[in-house]
Amino acid sequence: MTFTLRNEPRQPSIFAQVVRGELCVAVVVFALLGLIPLFISGYVIYVLPQYFLFGMLAMSLGLLWGSAGIVSFGQAAFFAIGGYAMGVIMQAGLGEGAGYVGIISGIAASGLVALIAGYFLFSAGVKADYFVLVTLALSIIVEQMAVSQSEVTGGWNGMFVDRMSLWLGPIGTISLYDDAAIYYFILPTLAVVYFALSALKRSRFGKILVGVRENEDRMSALGYNVAFYKTAVFTISGALAGFAGALYATHSNFVSPSLAGVLFSTEVVVWVAIGGRLSLFGALAGGVLVAALSNFLSSISPQYWQLALGFIFILVIVFFKGGLAGAFTNISERTAYRSLQESGNG
Amino acid sequence: MQTILSVGIDAALITLVLALAAFGLAIIYGLVGVINLGHGAMLTLGAYFTWYCINLGIPFFLAIIFAALAVGLVGLIFEHLVIRHFYNQPFETLLLTWGFFLISTEVVKIVFGTSFRNVPSPFPFAIDIGIYELPAYRTFVAGVAVLLLLGTAYVFLKTPIGIIIRAMIQNREMASLLGLNISAAYKLVFTFGSAIAGLAGGLIAPMLSIDPYIGNVFLVRSFFVVIVGGIGQLLGGTLLGSFFIGGTETILALFSSQVVAQVAVFFIAIIILRFRPQGLLRAR
Repeated sequence: MTFTLRNEPRQPSIFAQVVRGELCVAVVVFALLGLIPLFISGYVIYVLPQYFLFGMLAMSLGLLWGSAGIVSFGQAAFFAIGGYAMGVIMQAGLGEGAGYVGIISGIAASGLVALIAGYFLFSAGVKADYFVLVTLALSIIVEQMAVSQSEVTGGWNGMFVDRMSLWLGPIGTISLYDDAAIYYFILPTLAVVYFALSALKRSRFGKILVGVRENEDRMSALGYNVAFYKTAVFTISGALAGFAGALYATHSNFVSPSLAGVLFSTEVVVWVAIGGRLSLFGALAGGVLVAALSNFLSSISPQYWQLALGFIFILVIVFFKGGLAGAFTNISERTAYRSLQESGNG
Repeated sequence: MQTILSVGIDAALITLVLALAAFGLAIIYGLVGVINLGHGAMLTLGAYFTWYCINLGIPFFLAIIFAALAVGLVGLIFEHLVIRHFYNQPFETLLLTWGFFLISTEVVKIVFGTSFRNVPSPFPFAIDIGIYELPAYRTFVAGVAVLLLLGTAYVFLKTPIGIIIRAMIQNREMASLLGLNISAAYKLVFTFGSAIAGLAGGLIAPMLSIDPYIGNVFLVRSFFVVIVGGIGQLLGGTLLGSFFIGGTETILALFSSQVVAQVAVFFIAIIILRFRPQGLLRAR
């Protein structure tokens, strides 16, 4: 796999411009999304946070795929682990702060599974394609465990999860039962996650990951512990997917084994491929838009839509490796480059 | 004694059926280096084509041959349109074959419907060998698997086309410089692997109820077979891997539930991958 490095020293200002451009777009989009509940109510406000959480799940893969070049077919497994952890904690009757405990255990459980799997595979120097298979198997295993451990998980019937509330200590408790309330909880959370991840990608850690993606041997020759960095980013990615899953469970009040399933797992890969594997915002947008479109078109013609999605997936991989975000970046890079040249000439 | 014998025969049958299911994958992965995530979909297609032919009144044995040819043709078309441009980017082929899975599954759902289908077994009886009742059809499938493995090994080791393919694996550039038609050989291998998957799907169909996701059950198992056995070890690797995966699962399932057995096999496969990433049969 060879991608061109976006941050070649030749044209650093263009790279900076593109990144800044993406962040600006993100700020505007988040602000606009924040205004929606003022004008619309009802089903849209209920369902949008779900898509936001799918977007967060897509970003967890986008981080992995975009910066480290690792693809996981098991993100849904972590999502489901987070969801079930949330469900179990909410049923345990821990009182007002249960939601926090649920979120933390969701993150911890999925992060731990990712850490163990990642450590085992990366320290052995397992190839990227084997990694895909093992993560695919992981999602099958989690689905089967969710089905078979029916005393805990409710088996095929799934599990009811209560809506969490925000406990603010002595100040009081904010109920999130209202759809607009949980909208205004999930949207800022999504924004924080997005900006934190883009900061992570720009940090030294993120640059080392890009190095690993581009040339693993060279990075280890330079003295970097490649296995450590890969394990670390996979753990972060798994924990983030678990976080999204925990929020999803409490938002939709329900988790079922199909959340871990192979189909959902690979849907995440399709979202990110279409949105753009190299761009976090592309992954986020891919998750939100494709999931929303899927839901909408599935109500009209489920099978033909899934079929079309398969074709789109192949076309994206054959012709537009960067996905939607890549197409935009190309255009903006070209215009930025042209304007640079013009200013240089003038 | 009797239990040991029956478990042994059971394990042998399961091993061979699993080897049959994994063989198409082992061929494509081992020879042209494409991880075919569409392998499960090809098994499913084979099963559905068989079911369809039998419903048309075609006898079972013609039906499975037709299924093999049809899936081979589908594989050929897919290779020609997409895969052949990506042989030097193995990771992209993995994603592309997953796209094949998505499309094929939906086409199956649209054309054949989503409900369970049954293919009647051509040998719905058991052979009594005194101490154990051999299920006739499974025995037949195991026999086909043995013949297929041996036949492929013969082609691979003794015929000119086998020599070309081995040359191609060893050194692709050198082989093409010597005037061998590498792209045709790749195409042949991919088509053959697809056809074998179709045949396996057709042969497995009478043992299970068919639904559009039937191949998925075998997809991951087949991969573990190939990985555990060692890539490129067509004969020994496939058999050893199948014995390991199928046998372990059978024995564990005796003592615990099916799910626990599968989870345990998964962990064992990962541990093998950790300490022998090149597979059990490949020398370090």
